[in-house]
Amino acid sequence: MALDNLQGRVAWIFDEENYDVDLIVGVKNMKITDINELAGLAMQEYDPEFAKVIRKGDVIVGGANFGYGHPHYPSLRAMRHLGIAGIIAESFSPGFWRGEISMGTPLVSCPGILGAVSRWDEVVVDWAGGTVTNRTNGKVLAFEPLASADRIMLETGGLVPYLKSQMQTANA
Amino acid sequence: MGYTLAEKVLARVSGGTPVRAGDEVMAKPDFVIVYDFPGYTDVIFRQMKEDFGIHKVAEPDRYAIFIDHMVPTATPKEEELHIQTRNWCAEQGVPLYERRGIGHQVSVELGYATPGAFAVHFDGHISQLGAFGTLAIGLRRNILEAFVRERVSLKVPHTTRINLNGALQPGVMARDVFHHIVRVLGPSSCRFQVMEVGGPALAGISMEGRQTICGLAMFTGAVTAVINPDAISRAYTDGRSRIALAEESSDPDANYAAVHDIDLTTLEPIIVLPPNPANTRNLSDHIGIEVQSGYLGSCASGRLEELRIAAQILKGRRVKDGFSLHVIPTSQDIMAKAAAEGIISTLVEAGAFTSSPSCDYCFGRIATMSPGQKAVSTGTLNVPGRMGSPDSEIFLMNAAAVAAAAIEGRIADPRKYL
Repeated sequence: MALDNLQGRVAWIFDEENYDVDLIVGVKNMKITDINELAGLAMQEYDPEFAKVIRKGDVIVGGANFGYGHPHYPSLRAMRHLGIAGIIAESFSPGFWRGEISMGTPLVSCPGILGAVSRWDEVVVDWAGGTVTNRTNGKVLAFEPLASADRIMLETGGLVPYLKSQMQTANA
Repeated sequence: MGYTLAEKVLARVSGGTPVRAGDEVMAKPDFVIVYDFPGYTDVIFRQMKEDFGIHKVAEPDRYAIFIDHMVPTATPKEEELHIQTRNWCAEQGVPLYERRGIGHQVSVELGYATPGAFAVHFDGHISQLGAFGTLAIGLRRNILEAFVRERVSLKVPHTTRINLNGALQPGVMARDVFHHIVRVLGPSSCRFQVMEVGGPALAGISMEGRQTICGLAMFTGAVTAVINPDAISRAYTDGRSRIALAEESSDPDANYAAVHDIDLTTLEPIIVLPPNPANTRNLSDHIGIEVQSGYLGSCASGRLEELRIAAQILKGRRVKDGFSLHVIPTSQDIMAKAAAEGIISTLVEAGAFTSSPSCDYCFGRIATMSPGQKAVSTGTLNVPGRMGSPDSEIFLMNAAAVAAAAIEGRIADPRKYL
């Protein structure tokens, strides 16, 4: 099974280091579970028109140690629901990485990304080639390869399908 | 080239052949430790059966379940979660530890902090077992893997070594050492790595203090922390370890990702300002900020030496009128010892509110703050909303500084009371 390449526009750039992802839907909204309500709250502090202007398959770009702090799941649930296909960041905080890979959210650790993209640039993540290409300005960056367990988790769609696939393989 | 403690432990539990940082392994945890919490244990128990058709965990003695959050319960739904947990443990033959204290501390007391052992949890603060030479990693939701099969997939982490030199001045505590590490090296300095702490200054830092340093490791980006066993740690673990294992230490010529030296001699008490654990400053530069409540407790604090210093500061003094000071010993065992020493009566006479151990103060389930309120705290974390309203603020500091702030109702330097 091959992982589908990400191909979309840079819908937002969080350029700060140690970005707290809970801010995407707002700290006070962490207990909300209704996905439509969460989606309506996402990015309101940054761009109130966000849900209207993004397209399915768009990606988010982040800075170093993205997801630091005490990340909860609602923000990325909302972003996935809106159509965000993945996050490309300078680097990720381990807790956030583990949590979101287990949810099947593609994360791309790509040093140099902040200097290589502007909002609405068209980017492609080529999993097999190990590159992020900015189609708007032609820049190409290498990203850090996924551990095989992480790659299979993304291919299968998350933790539970990953474990099922592994246990079937082991029993075959 | 020698091996790190993490490489040695993961070699043993993944089949016995040597492994190096960066290798991907399937590792069998010696211990799988969790506390019951909605979205974690209830989901795991259901997924085991419904998604994987597994009705019994293999080797139930490898597992340990704690009831330490939502203690005591405040709603029928919370109690239902605990009932479900009790029933599951009874059905599975898995040890359950209820109301004994915060699980990360109680697991130490119960010997799960076995030197050389590999433990997993969903919560990263389990890293404090590393103070005893246990490799203990928080997997978040991937903990499910440890419930449905024998081994968990893991990339062997690199290790960053931090040598602590010098000695702590009065009023400066182990917690300050950790915050100083974050200040000097940065909040991503040990990202995806093991934070290994060593050096001559450790001789002057108790096991309790080492637990604090290791327990907060995630805020350097580390996946866990370890300290090579020494006479001080062995004095605690000898006769207490849950399984018979050879202890492991990093070799002197281990291949570290980085080695840092940090001198503690001039270190002052630190304050961590809102809104995140990277915001570390000298407390002396922030004296006088008015605060309404204080929390001395959590898995990162609330142990005897911290209760002792708070009692020393509060003895014969009073918590300021209108200030809410919550002093919550981290385990029943600690509480009993503190009571026997007279610490509890000193604190209560000074006006502190105290209760049996619970995790609930640390995440605002109780002692909840309103918008605009400020707390001084020895909790784990100061992100917005952690102890109540997202518009309240948390200032992290050592136990002595919390006690000093309680007297004055504002951030104060504890050293003048010592």
